[in-house]
Amino acid sequence: MSENASAPIADLSKAPLPTQAMLRKRRSIPIQITRFAVFNARIMRMVLKGHSGH
Amino acid sequence: MADVVVLGAGVAGHTAALHLKRMLPKGHTVTVVSPNSQWNWIPSNIWVGVGKMSKADVVFPLAPVYAKKRIDFRQAKAVAIHPRGDADDPRGAVDIVHTSPERDGQQERIRYDFLINATGPQLKFAMTEGLGPHGGHTVSVCTADHAIAAAEALRGVIAELKVGERRTLIVGMGHGTCTCEGAAFEYVFNVDHELREAGVRDRARLIYLTNERELGDFGVGGMTFADMGFETSSELWTGSLFREREVEAILGAHVFKVEPGVVHYETLDGEKHSLAFDFAMLLPPFGGVPLSAYAPDGADITSELFAPSGFMKVDADYTPKPFAEWKASDWPKTYLAQGYDNIWAVGIAFAPPHQISQPHKSANGTVIAPSPPRTGMPSGVMGKTAALSIVDRIKKGPNAAPHEASMAHMGAACVASAGSNLRTGSAAAMTMMPVVPDFERYPTGRDLKDTRGELGLAGHWVKLMLHYLFIHKAKGRLGWQFIPE
Repeated sequence: MSENASAPIADLSKAPLPTQAMLRKRRSIPIQITRFAVFNARIMRMVLKGHSGH
Repeated sequence: MADVVVLGAGVAGHTAALHLKRMLPKGHTVTVVSPNSQWNWIPSNIWVGVGKMSKADVVFPLAPVYAKKRIDFRQAKAVAIHPRGDADDPRGAVDIVHTSPERDGQQERIRYDFLINATGPQLKFAMTEGLGPHGGHTVSVCTADHAIAAAEALRGVIAELKVGERRTLIVGMGHGTCTCEGAAFEYVFNVDHELREAGVRDRARLIYLTNERELGDFGVGGMTFADMGFETSSELWTGSLFREREVEAILGAHVFKVEPGVVHYETLDGEKHSLAFDFAMLLPPFGGVPLSAYAPDGADITSELFAPSGFMKVDADYTPKPFAEWKASDWPKTYLAQGYDNIWAVGIAFAPPHQISQPHKSANGTVIAPSPPRTGMPSGVMGKTAALSIVDRIKKGPNAAPHEASMAHMGAACVASAGSNLRTGSAAAMTMMPVVPDFERYPTGRDLKDTRGELGLAGHWVKLMLHYLFIHKAKGRLGWQFIPE
């Protein structure tokens, strides 16, 4: 299929690219285990604060 | 003894039914009416749509669960409500039409003392010519069967890419008023992940076509995060992911027509464009499931109960006013239907008072405005809240105060998969508190302590965990009630 040259593609050239260190962190098992625990704790805090159906 | 009827067996309705049966004393009945025989954990349809999960992984039959829980189940669609009864009986009633193979087409009128409308969305593919898998030219992941077809189409494109062809894949929203941008976001990055795993990403052009004016809007007006001592936005954070993964984005778009291999859309500047594609997954706009309402004398009172969109009017402030005057307090708290203290509408079935994301019109006057999401966590909470109100009314009397769960007080987690793999997968894991921003309480609309976003493998693990937890909960297995909505 040919591309439509007039497609108004958003300019993302100023969006920050992650560094190699950040990309490694995002896949590092020990770091991600910690992030997994932190995110679950955050969900539970939110549930306790605002999900009680009061 | 009271009869409770729940219309719909999605996240909101199914949650409500399970809690009602758990909390109500013996003798009271709970009846669920759903046209579908199976329960579907819809968030995982994304993975079915890229071939990472099968249909059996995301659905299970409802009848055995309801039999075990002693919940009456009618596989049927509701077509009319008689909120003040009919000529024979002043109790409320619902007209249903059976959809099971054994009773297909049979009509029945069932009486209720309390009614929960959790009918979910009507998938309105027909609002865009040529949209959707039923006679249209695009695929969808809205149902497990749609997702299977999407996975097959994607496999075909990947096979063509593997022999050296170049292909254009579009993922996004099939109309200017769509909601669930998060689902399209997930799907585009899962497709990206699959293309990379297949070693063909360099030959594929992947485009995210959305009605959001900015990336990271997600139909909730975006989010502000606190990060490293600065306030940053979901737009910046999302844009970073698009740039990193080389996914192109077309923003503020209203798709008005799809032809074989070509999508036609209008942008906010009023310009109309056409884009050729080889694969397109475009979500449909949602409407309310069509239900009529009748007075005891047979007069049509549908407009009394329902907004023109088909969603049920509840305890929200529907006064038309400019965007700048919208308030968090406009949003419903109890989900009681206007004028009735025994009917609730929860999940997608209730009519939102206004958009959360600022609506826009194109230069031609076309409305391009993401509709407010009210799926997932908020749906489950609303279902439970309605159940708690009914239980109190039954146990404590008709004057028991209804429970409240405003989306302007409630938080939600959104875990958007960006690739499924236990070691190389990824997800954008976000929490927001509250879902509906409250600029009177918070300068950024939301509590910065609980509004967070992070990318990484842990997000994938969370999404996978939620898949198993919520299916366990929906099956009513041991300890299900301790799993939060």
